[in-house]
Amino acid sequence: MRKWLAVLAALCLLAVGPGTAVAAGPGNKKVIKIGVTQSVDSMNPFLAVRLVTGQIQRLIYGFLTVPDSKTLQPSPDLAESWTTSPDGLTWTFKIRQAKWSDGQPITADDAAWTFGKMMTDDGAKTGNGPAVENFRSVSANGQELTIKLKAPQASMLDNPVPIMPKHVWEKIKDISKYDGETYPTVGSGPYVAVEHKKDQFVRLEANPDYWRGRPKVDELQIIFYDNPAASIVGLKKGDIDLIGRLNPPDFESLKGDGNIVQWNTQGRRAAYLQINHGATTSDNKPIGGGHPALKDPRVRTALHYAIDKQKLVDEVQGGLAKPADGSIIPPLYKDFFWAATGAEKVTFDLAKANKILDDAGYKKGPDGVRTMPDGSRKLQFRFSIHTGTPIEDKLAEYLTGWFKEIGVTLTTKRLDSSKFTEETGTTALFDIAISGWSVNPDPEEVLATHLCSRRPTATGEGGGTESFYCDPTYESLYLQQQKELDRTKRAGIIKKMQERLYVDAPVIALYYPNDLEGYRKDRIAGITPIPEDKGLLYGGSGYWPFYTLEAVSTDAKASGGSNGGLIAGVAAGVVVLAIGGLFLARRRRGVADERE
Amino acid sequence: MTSAVDELEEAPARRGLLRYAATKAGGALLSIAMVIVATFFLFRLLPGDPVRALAQGRNMTPEQLDLERARLGLDKPVPEQFLHFVSQTLRLDLGVSYEYKRPVLDLIGERIGSTLLLTGTALVLAVSLGLWQGARAGWKPGSRFDKVSTAISLVLWSVPTFWLGLLLLMVFAAGIGPIPGIFPTRGSSSVDKPGGFAGVLDVGQHMVLPCLTLVAVVYAQYLLVMRSSVIDEVGQDYITTARAKGLRDDDVRRKHAVPNALLPTVTLVFLRIGFVVGGAVTVEAIFSWPGLGQLFYEAIRVPDFTLMQGTFLLITVSVIVMNTLADVVYHVLDPRVRSA
Repeated sequence: MRKWLAVLAALCLLAVGPGTAVAAGPGNKKVIKIGVTQSVDSMNPFLAVRLVTGQIQRLIYGFLTVPDSKTLQPSPDLAESWTTSPDGLTWTFKIRQAKWSDGQPITADDAAWTFGKMMTDDGAKTGNGPAVENFRSVSANGQELTIKLKAPQASMLDNPVPIMPKHVWEKIKDISKYDGETYPTVGSGPYVAVEHKKDQFVRLEANPDYWRGRPKVDELQIIFYDNPAASIVGLKKGDIDLIGRLNPPDFESLKGDGNIVQWNTQGRRAAYLQINHGATTSDNKPIGGGHPALKDPRVRTALHYAIDKQKLVDEVQGGLAKPADGSIIPPLYKDFFWAATGAEKVTFDLAKANKILDDAGYKKGPDGVRTMPDGSRKLQFRFSIHTGTPIEDKLAEYLTGWFKEIGVTLTTKRLDSSKFTEETGTTALFDIAISGWSVNPDPEEVLATHLCSRRPTATGEGGGTESFYCDPTYESLYLQQQKELDRTKRAGIIKKMQERLYVDAPVIALYYPNDLEGYRKDRIAGITPIPEDKGLLYGGSGYWPFYTLEAVSTDAKASGGSNGGLIAGVAAGVVVLAIGGLFLARRRRGVADERE
Repeated sequence: MTSAVDELEEAPARRGLLRYAATKAGGALLSIAMVIVATFFLFRLLPGDPVRALAQGRNMTPEQLDLERARLGLDKPVPEQFLHFVSQTLRLDLGVSYEYKRPVLDLIGERIGSTLLLTGTALVLAVSLGLWQGARAGWKPGSRFDKVSTAISLVLWSVPTFWLGLLLLMVFAAGIGPIPGIFPTRGSSSVDKPGGFAGVLDVGQHMVLPCLTLVAVVYAQYLLVMRSSVIDEVGQDYITTARAKGLRDDDVRRKHAVPNALLPTVTLVFLRIGFVVGGAVTVEAIFSWPGLGQLFYEAIRVPDFTLMQGTFLLITVSVIVMNTLADVVYHVLDPRVRSA
């Protein structure tokens, strides 16, 4: 047995020793490694739905437009310019003279094929199907792409579909079964995917023929971490160079590391409460077990008055958020953001909240809990949050405290994410639930979550609703903004929609969490956020940050790596020697025992 | 004359073994069939809408969701889905993963290597360490060696795997104080994995922490079983006889006591081999080790029915098979079981 162990120990030494030195820097290539905690679902853009995959597609493929790095307004990408007919139904795009990464010219035919495929092949609709739902026809003539719409659509310029090379993809028989794992990929973005290992990493190399010019780093590696805590360790250690989407505690833990830049900026998200104010299905039949008191807008407003948003920001988010005086669009989007002012503005005021409930006839019982005006039920609400989310737990604690002061009981219900989505999206078995969405530069999608059509059918099909909202005022405003091609006027309508949500309170916005990221300044010499003025890095829209990325000269990095390797080798050697010594000593002693 | 007697005695024994093995195999097949049925319904009982969960934070319209549901065959009635599942499974086709849009068998094939490498190495180490330490501890129960090693193994056994793994990660991957961060934080190899022997070393280096975690939490059971088994043997007459013959104490332990004491660990080792196939979900998740455990974890997170079914089936079937093998091997090794 001892010999056995000695052999194993020797093997361990071999495995640990020189390996580290060899694994150091990859020659003098400039490589930047980005850590992510969501894995790629499919490399086929027609099928992929995950955020991380969308980010990677942005780097590999060209789109019609890209958000401008300063204003976030749609700006030319593969489409050099465009015109709209006066009725808003015909859009003509001029496709840029550029080349695919395999040297073939890019034409409008590629774009027409991509959209056409999605319009005619159900298998190709998984990823971005809704983007072409309003398309009547698509045609190409040289570099000119013409799209005819069924109805005017203001969000047309925020088209989320990557343009695919027809000459490569038309050969694929069944798009719905194709994994897109052919490397190098043929694309028109700043990078070319050269390798993907499931749940491990995606390797992207700079596209030398990119029309804006070759990116400054030679290789981007998107590295997947199953465990967020390990990704923080990875950043501190230098296994990765940049990480986005951090939660406040992880972000705080980066403090004090001289090599790491803590990137704290306005985020794309709004955190809000969705309130079950009498959920109905798409044929207007009531469903779920929502508390009847929440149907009363006065109760919802009273709850709104009983929330100290500043305190939530300070205590729950560690100060890394902005209290919400608006609704579901965060202030990052200056053009579309709306904030309440004057009498409309709800501020933390428990006395006022109590008065509203008193006036509305919800009397406090001897136990301090209010009852319905007819005395039928106490104001006891369930609050649904996700399991294993300390932030939501803390939030629930604060809300429970304040609501108690206005005679409302809150019981926290922790649900795993699929059960949570089911209750808040289909069965409506909740009273109040935590919610929030990331908002794109064009906010149409998040606005649409409050449309009547988003409610589930009687059989529980469909969904994507927020609070089961269905309001004629909101609905007509939505249709108006959809047709309004003048950006300023459209923004005006969108603000009215947010005002409606604020006053009617089917959702109560709590705060806008900051975007928290971290990167190593000993590896990354420069990176342009989007928007350029204190914007986002990994979490932003478009390829801008990764296109402008500059790596620190690799020489220093390589030597650092081999030092680590050397230390590792020595340390491992010491450990194994110690174990070996122990064995020897024991053996000697054993023999000595017997001699006596 | 003597040979004839031998044959007479051996033949029924061999026949008995065959019959025993056949019964056991039959039982195993029955279990597997039940597992196939249970697998399907078990996962249908889980809450949540797999299609919506697939989007993971991205908003999808009802049309998109319906399309996806149809693509996955989830729009069909459950009995139809069940028949489809059974016929597919019998043809060794585990279906296509919702999430990855690829055959489950391919996904398993990609992972099984790294799982076997990690858990296999850990098993060998844990068994060697546990049995060796257990034998020594049991030989002189109550000695300092016994007390210390039993205490250490029990503490490690009681420690939550997740906590221990994270601790090792923090200390030996990130580095604390004078301890430099020497091991990688994730995966089974570097992205720029060097070729040849250097590549093997690279994998070895990635394996140290997850392997250490696994060994630390599982070796106690081997130690304890071996220890009590050796303690049993120590009191036996043949040990006294061996000692009386003037054999060295070490030799008595190694050549007489240990081989006999090993018997009860056979079942334990075989059972563990069954689990080795499934990987170690927690450890793989902590160290982002791309094995079957991580695949299963990912499948539950989505939830990806076909992937869950596939990996779950593979894991349960391998446990059943190994369990059966353990029974048969035990039957061969231990005459007392045979006669019983």
